[in-house]
Amino acid sequence: MNDEELRNMISRTLTCRIDKRENCEDKMAQFLKRCFYHSGQYNSEEHFLELDSKLKEKEGGRLSNRLFYLSIPPNIFVDVVRCASTKASSTSGWTRVIVEKPFGRDSESSNELTTSLKQYLTEDQIFRIDHYLGKELVENLSVLRFSNLVFEPLWSRNYIRNVQLIFSEDFGTEGRGGYFDNYGIIRDIMQNHLLQILALFAMETPVSLDAEDIRNEKVKVLRSMRLLQLEDVIVGQYKGHSKGGKSYPGYTDDPMVPKNSITPTFAAAALFINNARWDGVPFLMKAGKALHTRRAEIRVQFRHVPGNLYKRNFGTDLDKATNELVLRVQPDEAIYLKINNKVPGLGMRLDRSDLNLLYKARYPREIPDAYERLLLDAVEGERRLFIRSDELDAAWALFTPLLKELEEKKIAPELYPYGSRGPVGAHYLAAKHNVRWGDLAGDE
Amino acid sequence: MATLSSSKHCCSSSSVYSSSSSFGFHQPQRNIPFPVVSQKRLGSKSVSWQSKCSPSSNVILMQDGALATKRAATDEAPLSKLKEGLLSVTPPEEHKQLINIDANAGKSTVSITVVGASGDLAKKKIFPALFALYYEDCLPEDLDVKFFLSKTYNDLLPSKWSDNLLLLLVSALYYLWENCSEKMEQFLNRCFYHSGQYDSQQNFVELDKKLKEHEAGRVANRLFYLSIPPNIFVDAVKCASLSASAANGWTRVIVEKPFGRDSESSAALTRALKQYLAEDQIFRIDHYLGKELVENLSVLRFSNLIFEPLWSRQYIRNVQLIFSEDFGTEGRGGYFDHYGIIRDIMQNHLLQILALFAMETPVSLDAEDIRNEKVKVLRSMKPLRIDDVVIGQYKSHTKGGVSYPGYTDDKTVPKDSLTPTFAAAALFIDNARWDGVPFLMKAGKALHNRRAEIRVQFRHVPGNLYNRNFGTDLDRATNELVIRVQPDEAIYLKINNKVPGLGMRLDRSNLNLLYKARYSKEIPDAYERLLLDAVEGERRLFIRSDELDAAWSLFTPVLKELEEKKIIPEYYPYGSRGPVGAHYLAARYNVKWGDIGVDE
Repeated sequence: MNDEELRNMISRTLTCRIDKRENCEDKMAQFLKRCFYHSGQYNSEEHFLELDSKLKEKEGGRLSNRLFYLSIPPNIFVDVVRCASTKASSTSGWTRVIVEKPFGRDSESSNELTTSLKQYLTEDQIFRIDHYLGKELVENLSVLRFSNLVFEPLWSRNYIRNVQLIFSEDFGTEGRGGYFDNYGIIRDIMQNHLLQILALFAMETPVSLDAEDIRNEKVKVLRSMRLLQLEDVIVGQYKGHSKGGKSYPGYTDDPMVPKNSITPTFAAAALFINNARWDGVPFLMKAGKALHTRRAEIRVQFRHVPGNLYKRNFGTDLDKATNELVLRVQPDEAIYLKINNKVPGLGMRLDRSDLNLLYKARYPREIPDAYERLLLDAVEGERRLFIRSDELDAAWALFTPLLKELEEKKIAPELYPYGSRGPVGAHYLAAKHNVRWGDLAGDE
Repeated sequence: MATLSSSKHCCSSSSVYSSSSSFGFHQPQRNIPFPVVSQKRLGSKSVSWQSKCSPSSNVILMQDGALATKRAATDEAPLSKLKEGLLSVTPPEEHKQLINIDANAGKSTVSITVVGASGDLAKKKIFPALFALYYEDCLPEDLDVKFFLSKTYNDLLPSKWSDNLLLLLVSALYYLWENCSEKMEQFLNRCFYHSGQYDSQQNFVELDKKLKEHEAGRVANRLFYLSIPPNIFVDAVKCASLSASAANGWTRVIVEKPFGRDSESSAALTRALKQYLAEDQIFRIDHYLGKELVENLSVLRFSNLIFEPLWSRQYIRNVQLIFSEDFGTEGRGGYFDHYGIIRDIMQNHLLQILALFAMETPVSLDAEDIRNEKVKVLRSMKPLRIDDVVIGQYKSHTKGGVSYPGYTDDKTVPKDSLTPTFAAAALFIDNARWDGVPFLMKAGKALHNRRAEIRVQFRHVPGNLYNRNFGTDLDRATNELVIRVQPDEAIYLKINNKVPGLGMRLDRSNLNLLYKARYSKEIPDAYERLLLDAVEGERRLFIRSDELDAAWSLFTPVLKELEEKKIIPEYYPYGSRGPVGAHYLAARYNVKWGDIGVDE
């Protein structure tokens, strides 16, 4: 490949989607002119030296900052970082490295990776990306909490009965299960994306919006959490399913996946934060592939009204008609608050209605992709949305014992049909903690 | 609270007020179906009307409910009689409903007599509401209604005029409902007319006879709706009570505002009414309390966890109660000029909403419990001071070639009238929950739009992390809860939100509930609800005497002062946003009117 071929390849992936701005063609041409191809071995210091001289050429003696984005398999992270750091660091400006998950498979491997990276990089050079933190509604979570008076007073065990973090995909591994099979859904989604959202959701008010202040608060949440217990987790794996004449493959039908794999493609877990604000409030997580919908959302179920004057209108289960705040991260970003409301008309019937904010209706502009935000932040040195080493350690510490136990005991996942709502075990797990999944309620 | 029996005759000697003004009776009669008999006669349909309109019917739909109290209160008088009638024949599947309406058991009827059937209110509101209730099977199928006008009018008009008039009125509703014309005919067949003088006991005795004919010996309940000028309230009540009270059921009287002009006249009216009626026979209507969103106010507060913790001075910075009309008196200012906007809107409608908004949690949803809490609010309020009131009057205005008349251009208004057509006021409740929180009211005619809403502005976030995004005035970006009563019923909560995109810009968005979008059914008119409630004896939405007293004692001093000092109203053009004085009043209490903000 040369520069030209690279530019051809890139140009095929580019769209002018952002607000369909004018002179997109020009911009694209300018952009492509600035793209260069450099070929080499990931572990060859010599090749990185060549890269360095090429970069210097372009930099033309100006103050130069360098950002490396490592879009490579984890086993070669360290080699590349070593070469880049020793041979291609910027001499006059900053050098930063963006790393993608997986950050290890457990506490030990993660630790090892961090230790190796730190041989060549300082903490503030490492940008561990979790693209969920770049999602618009996750960004908005703190804004909602801290810039509105009406939410913060409710944000504790006094008023919140449970919190649900839900992620689902409506497709399976689709022939690319090789990487996934080594990790499984808990490592792939829960331990990072959902746990990060949980930490943001539950943290105390930070001193400021600075990255270090926010990450300090997040670490405190993670470190206050109870270790995940095996009985508070259920795992599942999708199986083949035929529907309407079409047949969908099971997970182990993926040619990249071993036939006897027990890697979970679905998991549900109940977590607890043992601090003054959240003691006893279940945080339920659920993540799965090959389910009936694609969505990511945060659901906050409030307690029932004590001494409710209208309780006769609600039947016997007061918890069925509580307020619920839903932040839908994807698709169709939205915030809505379920409230009890009188059905208009004579008589007094209550039902639940939504106080709604649908982003599509309110904001006609396209919402930027999480990666745009995160790349920009890395360039600007804004670390708020990146994961610090101690956060990562704390996250692994929560999940590692459980993951080991699952593997050692070879816990068989509950099989569920492709395109279904997932294993029913999730309901029993929820029931055990007196929770009802909000996304599978009748009124959604 | 449900007191038994109100068929009470008062003997009294009140001076007979006589006048030549005409009045009429409108007297639909309805039979409340009760299980056994009516089922045989009318089929199950007669039973099911209850489920549609009164809460107990909800058993079928979703919950029992809410309305058990209503039911209990409903048929007080026949209570003793009904048990016998019931036991037997009910088919099992009807059992549940039967239980709910067992208070109706026995033969009973309700006659609704509209005194003053030719009036504007009767035409615009009462008849359509009655028909709507009838149409929705809230009134039974065998309802009988007759419609009459007084002789004076009869002499002037073609003989069938009155019937045609009613036909005209209800036919406006024709397109809203299927098979409406059939229903309308049935409804009209049950309308009867009786003409007479409002102060003639003789005429009421005749009415009584006529009613008895229709009641045919059943338990007879009678509801009188006084749609007449206030100066003849007492005479009509006297005659109705002495000569046309139900002999064996309840007798109730619905009275419309004005309930006096001040504390003294209101107290005099109440005293006079009470010579003939017991407190629980008097149903003072405030139709704003029957509006859907005002009804929903308590539901919002008390059936949601998320609002009540915020409902106090700790979180709420101010509350605004806003009423505006986009038209003036339009040639009918005679009545209005005597009262003015403060008496016409503020002292009753807005103050009632305020009391509902601010009250403590009642012990139950029973009428007496709710009204007890409302009275407590009113009695905790500081009397309104004249510095806390701004008054205005609209003047003529020409816009786009159309010229709109000023208030004093109205032929029925004196040229030098100082009567306010606009007023804004700041009120305070001196209790633990609301100390220091301004409750701002604003009401006006001939403004730029028509609306009624409640706005709750919250305090700013203490120590807001995002302060830098808000500029210097933190109060400009606070949360605000808006309950729009009319038009286009809606509830929305303004929240701060990140503008999607790179960077961190905040703006205010709404968490929205637009009724039109959520509920396809038409929302019943306030009068339907209130009429039904009166029939059922549900007093929650009617104003008790002590509430009325408390309301007047808040406003009377300032009203007197305004009149004694002949305070000149600030003039504002027809169709404008009202006098700017309202802004300065708000500014004094550090409030900004939410309805005139840029983001509305």
